[in-house]
Amino acid sequence: MSNDLIFDVDNITLRFGGVVSLKGVSLQMKRGEILAVIGPNGAGKTSLFNSLTGVYQPQEGTINFISHEGNVTSVIGKKAHQVSRAGVARTFQASRLFGALTTFENVKIAAENHEGLGLVGSLVKGPATRRGERESDALAIELLKFVGLGKEAGKIANSLSYGARRRLEIARGLATGPDVLLLDEPAAGTNPTEKLELAELIRKVRDDRGVSVLLIEHDMKLVMSLAERLYVLNFGSVIATGTPDEIRSNPAVIDAYLGTTHEETNA
Amino acid sequence: MGFEHFWLAGFDNLRSGFWTYLAVGLQNGALYGMIAVGYTLVYGVLGLINFAHGEVFMTGGFAGIFVSRAILGTSVGSGFGSFGILILCLIVGGMVSALVAVGVERVAYRPLRKRNAPKIAYLISAIGASYFLQTLAGKEFGYGQPLFPSQVFAAGQVMFTVGKTSVHTITVVTVIAGILALLLADTIVRRTRLGRSIRAVAQDAETSSLMGVNIDRTIMTTFILGGALAGAAGFLFSLQSGMVQNSGTEIGIYAFTAAVLGGIGNLRGAALGGLLIGLFGSFSVPFAFEGNAQWVEIYTFLILVLVLIFRPTGILGEKSGRTA
Amino acid sequence: MNLLQNKHVRRFGSTLAIMAVLTVMTGTAGTATAPPTTGLHGSFMEHVSYFGLFGAPRWTVMLTLTIVVFGLATALSTYGSKLRKQTAKVTALRQRVTSNPALKWPFVAAVIILALLVPKFVTQNFWQYLLVEQVGVWILLALGLNVVVGFTGLLDLGFAAFYAIGAYTTAWETGVLPMPALFHHTIPTLWAIPIGIGAAMLFGVLLGTPTLRLRGDYLAIVTLGFALIIDDFVETQAGVTGGGQGTGQIPHFSLNVGFAHFQWGLDPIPYYYLCLFFVGLFILIFLSLEHSRVGRAWVAIREDEVAAESVGINPLKYKVMAFAVGAASGGFGGVLTGGLIGFVTPTLFQYQVSVNVLVLVIFGGMGSIWGVAIGAIVLQVITSYLDNYQPWGYQLNDLYMYIGALLIVMMIFRPAGLMPSSRRKREFKEFEENHEGHIDEVLTGEQV
Repeated sequence: MSNDLIFDVDNITLRFGGVVSLKGVSLQMKRGEILAVIGPNGAGKTSLFNSLTGVYQPQEGTINFISHEGNVTSVIGKKAHQVSRAGVARTFQASRLFGALTTFENVKIAAENHEGLGLVGSLVKGPATRRGERESDALAIELLKFVGLGKEAGKIANSLSYGARRRLEIARGLATGPDVLLLDEPAAGTNPTEKLELAELIRKVRDDRGVSVLLIEHDMKLVMSLAERLYVLNFGSVIATGTPDEIRSNPAVIDAYLGTTHEETNA
Repeated sequence: MGFEHFWLAGFDNLRSGFWTYLAVGLQNGALYGMIAVGYTLVYGVLGLINFAHGEVFMTGGFAGIFVSRAILGTSVGSGFGSFGILILCLIVGGMVSALVAVGVERVAYRPLRKRNAPKIAYLISAIGASYFLQTLAGKEFGYGQPLFPSQVFAAGQVMFTVGKTSVHTITVVTVIAGILALLLADTIVRRTRLGRSIRAVAQDAETSSLMGVNIDRTIMTTFILGGALAGAAGFLFSLQSGMVQNSGTEIGIYAFTAAVLGGIGNLRGAALGGLLIGLFGSFSVPFAFEGNAQWVEIYTFLILVLVLIFRPTGILGEKSGRTA
Repeated sequence: MNLLQNKHVRRFGSTLAIMAVLTVMTGTAGTATAPPTTGLHGSFMEHVSYFGLFGAPRWTVMLTLTIVVFGLATALSTYGSKLRKQTAKVTALRQRVTSNPALKWPFVAAVIILALLVPKFVTQNFWQYLLVEQVGVWILLALGLNVVVGFTGLLDLGFAAFYAIGAYTTAWETGVLPMPALFHHTIPTLWAIPIGIGAAMLFGVLLGTPTLRLRGDYLAIVTLGFALIIDDFVETQAGVTGGGQGTGQIPHFSLNVGFAHFQWGLDPIPYYYLCLFFVGLFILIFLSLEHSRVGRAWVAIREDEVAAESVGINPLKYKVMAFAVGAASGGFGGVLTGGLIGFVTPTLFQYQVSVNVLVLVIFGGMGSIWGVAIGAIVLQVITSYLDNYQPWGYQLNDLYMYIGALLIVMMIFRPAGLMPSSRRKREFKEFEENHEGHIDEVLTGEQV
C-alpha cells in the first residue's frame, strides 16, 4: 500500500438553500486502501459521495482526484460523466440499474464507454469498431464472472435478487476501468451470508484488481472487519478518523451514536 | 447606426405611450397570473405540466360567452347591470372550466396514476387531451374565427383617463378581477384545510396519504381551483379579444413562462410571474422589429428558455446545489 | 352515495359519457357566425336515416349504442379471461416468428418484394401520389422522431421544424425563394438531398445544445414554444420565405451522373421508388445505430440518466446526436416533399404536423423501427381514406380530435405501442411494478 493520495478533499462546504449538508469536511484517501465513511443517518455521507462524483457541487473547498498515472483532476466543476471518465466509479444506495436490460448489457454499456468511438464509427462498423466490441464483450463477461454473476448474464436485471443486483452494480462500476470504486451502502438489505460474500468481493476488488475502495456503510461489524481506515461524520462534519480500533474507543464517536439514535440494524 | 436608432426610437415610443403600455401590461399580467395558478398548482402536486390547461381556459371563455349572449343577445350592458352580468359570466365560465379540468384529470391522468405510468406517458396524454379539446372546440365553434361575447360593457368604453391616455373599462375590470381572484386563491391555499392538503401533497405525497389526506380528492381540488381561475380569465380575455379554439395554446405558453419565472409550484410566484411577464410583454412592443408583434413572443420565449436553463426554480423558488 | 359507487352504474355512466362525446365528435360542426350551440344541438337532434328505411334523431342511436357497448363490456369483464388467452396465443405466435432467425430473412425479403410491387396494385394516379406524399414521407418523419422519442426518450414537440427546414432549404437552394441561394448559385434539386439533410441536422444541433439539458417536461414545452414561434416567423417573414403563399415552383429532381440519366416529372411512381430507397437506407442506418455503442448509450440514458452518467456517458452529447440523427430523416422527408409537390408552404411547420408524427411513433411502438414503420403506414392510410372519402359525417379537421383521443387511449391501455419491441414493453411493465406504492416518485418523476 503506497502512501500517495487518490482523493484529497480540502475543507468542503455544501449548502442547499438554507441547509448546510457538509461543513468544512476534509478527507484524504490513500491509493490502494479500503476506506469507510460512517456516521448516523443524515450525517452527510451520501452528500459527500455525491460531491466526490460530481453530482453535487460544494460551494467551498477543493476536491482533487489523482489517477494512477498521476493526473490530478479537480472534481468540483466537473460533470458526473467527466468524473467517471477520470477514473471514479460508484454504486448507488438504491441500485440504479438499467432494469429492463440484461445483466450482460448493463456491464457492456459501461465497458464500452471508455474510449471515444463516435457516430461514424458506430455506423460504419469497421475493424476498429468490431475489435472494440469484442473487447468490451470480453471485459463484461470477465467481470460478471468476477462478481459471481457469470450464469446470470442473460437474465433481465430487474429479475435479479437483491444481493445479485448489488454485485451487478459493482461489476458495472468496475467495467469503466476505475482507480477507485465508491460503494454507497452495499450491504443494505442483504442477509448475513450475502454480507460475507460481499465483504469477500470487496477485498477481491482491491487485492486482485488494484482498485481502491471507499464505502459508506451502516453495518458496524462489516465495516470494522473490512475497512482499514475510517472517517466518522456527524451533522455534516468529520468528528473522527483513524483505524477501526481507534474509532471503536473514540469517545466522540460513541457519543454521536449513542447520543442520537442507535445504529441501524439491517434486516 | 441603425441599431442605435432602433433602441432610441423604441424608448421614445415607450415613454410617450407609457400609460397605455402599462395598462395593457397589467391587463395581460392579470390574465397570465390567473392562468399560471393552474399550471403551478398542478405542477406542485403532480409534477406535471398540464398541457391541457390552455384548453381549460378556452372552454371557460366560451362558456362565459354563451352566458353573456343568452342574457344580453345584441343589446349592450350598462350601469350596475354590466357588473352583475360580468360576475355571472365569470362564475359560470369558472364552473365550466373547472368541470373540464376535472374531466381531463379523470380521463387523461388518473388512469395513468393508478397504473404507475412513467412521466412521459402523462405528457403524451396531456398533449392528446389538449389536442382533443382544441379540435372539438374548433368543430363546434368554428376554426380561426374569434367568437365575441355580447357587449357586457359598451365597446371601447372608457373608465377614466390619465393625462392623454384613456383607460378602458375592460382593462380595469380585468385587473381588479385578477387581483381578487389571486387573493382568493392565495387565501384558499394558505388558510383552508383544502389548501393545506394541497400543500402537503405537493411536498410529500406518501406521508400525506399516511396521515389521512385523500390524495385523489386533493388532486381534484387542485384542478378545480386552477381550472376555475383559468375559466374566469378566459371570459375576461374574450371581452377584449374574442375567443378562438387555439387561443389557449399561445396564452398557455405565456402563462407557463410566468409560472416558471415566479417559481413553479409557488402560487404567489405565479401571481408575481404573471405581472412581470405581462409588463415585459407590453413594454417590449416598441422594440419589436418592423412593428411585428411576433417579436414579443420571441422575447418572452427567450425568457422561458433562459430561466429554465439558468434558474429553473424561478424567483420565489428554492435554489439547490445540484448540477442536475 | 351508494348508487354512485355501484360498479355497474359507474360503467353505464362512463359508457354513456363516452358515447355522448363520440356523438358530438361525429356530429355537425358549428361556426362562429351561427348560434353557439348549433353544433351541439345538431349532433344530438339531427335526424339520420338508417339504410333509407327510417329516420331517428342521433341521440337515440347514442342510447342504443350505449346499451350495446355496456352489454359487451359487462360480458367481457366476466368472460374476458378466455378472450385474453386467445389474444395471448396470437401475440406468442408473432414473437416466435420475429425471433426466429431462420424466418427473419425470408420475411424481410418478402416485405421488400411486396414494397417494390406496390405500384402494380395501386394504379390510380391519385392514390399513387398519396402513397408517396402521405405514407412514404411520413414514414421517414416517424422513423426520425422515433430516434428522438423512442430510442432516447426525449419528448420533442417541434419535430416538424426539421421537416420544414429540409423543404425550405430545397426551395432556397433551387432558387425559388425571394431570398437568393447561397453564393447566388442554384443547384439541381437532387443535390438538395444532402444539403437539406445537412441543414436539418445543423439545426438539430443548434436547437438541441442549449435545450437538451432540460428535463423531459421542460424540454417538451420549450420545443413546443419553439415550434409555435417558427411557425409564425415563417408565415410573416415573407421577404425570406415567401410568407403564407409559399414558395415558387421547385424544379423536379433530375439525375445526371455519368451514364445514369433520369428526370422525375409529374408521375409519382419514380418518386415512390426514390422514397422507398431512402426509407430502406434510413432503416438500415437506424438499425445499425440501434445495435451499436451509440444506440446502447441512448437506451441507458432513457432507462436511467443518472446511472448512465455514472458510467461515463455524456447525456448532452448523445441527446444532441439523437436530435441530429432524427433531424436527418425529417429533413430528407422535407426535400422529398419539395421535389414531389413542387412548392413549399408554412403549413409544413404547423404544430399539428409535429403532433401527427408523434402519434405515428406512439401508435406503432416507440423505439421499435418496424413497429413505427408499420404503424405509420396503417395510420396514414386510414387518415388519407378519411380525408378523401369523409364517411359518416367526418370533417377534415376532425382528424386531430381523433389523434388526441388516440394518444390518451394509447397511454392508458398500451403505452408501449401496438407493436413494441419486447424490451420497451418490459420497460413499461418494470417501471409500473417497481413504482407500486411509491407515489412521490411517480408524481414527481424523481427518485426519492
